[in-house]
Amino acid sequence: MTVPLGAFIAVSAALFFLGAAGVLVRRNAVVILMCVELMLNASNLALVAFARRAGQLGAGNPLDQRGSVFVVFVFVIAAAEVAVGLAIILAAYRNRPTVNVDDIHEMKG
Amino acid sequence: MFDFFEPFFFVLFTIGIIGAGAAVVMLRRITAQALLMAFSFACMAGMFLLLGAETIALFQVLIYVGAITILILFGVMFTKQSDGDYALFFQRQAPFAAGLAAMVALPVIVLAFSFKDAATPSPRGGDLVALGSSLFTDYAFPFEVASVLLLAALVGAIVLVKRDEQ
Repeated sequence: MTVPLGAFIAVSAALFFLGAAGVLVRRNAVVILMCVELMLNASNLALVAFARRAGQLGAGNPLDQRGSVFVVFVFVIAAAEVAVGLAIILAAYRNRPTVNVDDIHEMKG
Repeated sequence: MFDFFEPFFFVLFTIGIIGAGAAVVMLRRITAQALLMAFSFACMAGMFLLLGAETIALFQVLIYVGAITILILFGVMFTKQSDGDYALFFQRQAPFAAGLAAMVALPVIVLAFSFKDAATPSPRGGDLVALGSSLFTDYAFPFEVASVLLLAALVGAIVLVKRDEQ
């Protein structure tokens, strides 16, 4: 008894929608960053699931791990993104002490 | 024996991922949100284990549960958090937005469940060898570019946060 691939994809889609809803609904910049991380993680799940499927169907080289390699690069991008994103939030916070994105609508220097 | 446990753990991890994710989106307690996000990431690592991607699960725990959660917690602690959050809930447009979201979400869910064929492989042996050999031969150049990107992000974060001392 095994879990079908579609179930993993459904979980991934549900988490992605949750993250997208959070990005649209929340106004706290840190929470928005968390929701972006959730979306990235959801995409990772889909990538790994499809990579496993491709590996099982035996398409080409069994050592082909393109999906997992992609996930590693997504990890790298996520780490860089959260570091720079938090730095931007802190820099904006120093300018005007709020993390509410509705209050940071002026980009004048 | 593992065959029987697989659906059980799948349901368990799904409840963890979706429940913690929904809590992150809807809760208003920022520290609890950050920790629940870490819990969601940890459940996702379990999901990767179910898929037989042990190395990815290891990276997930190291990078997401460890590093990114700590960074987010630092961001929480360095800023003053206000309570007046999520005003977009329960506005007049909410029914229309819900209908539109359902219109997008339903086809995606249906499409997702149309992949019935391939079940998850029973994990035998790690994926580390295949992943490593692929990463350091075919993808050596992107790997180096990624390291440069990380360095640029490191320097950029320091420059952005550093106070200018006249």
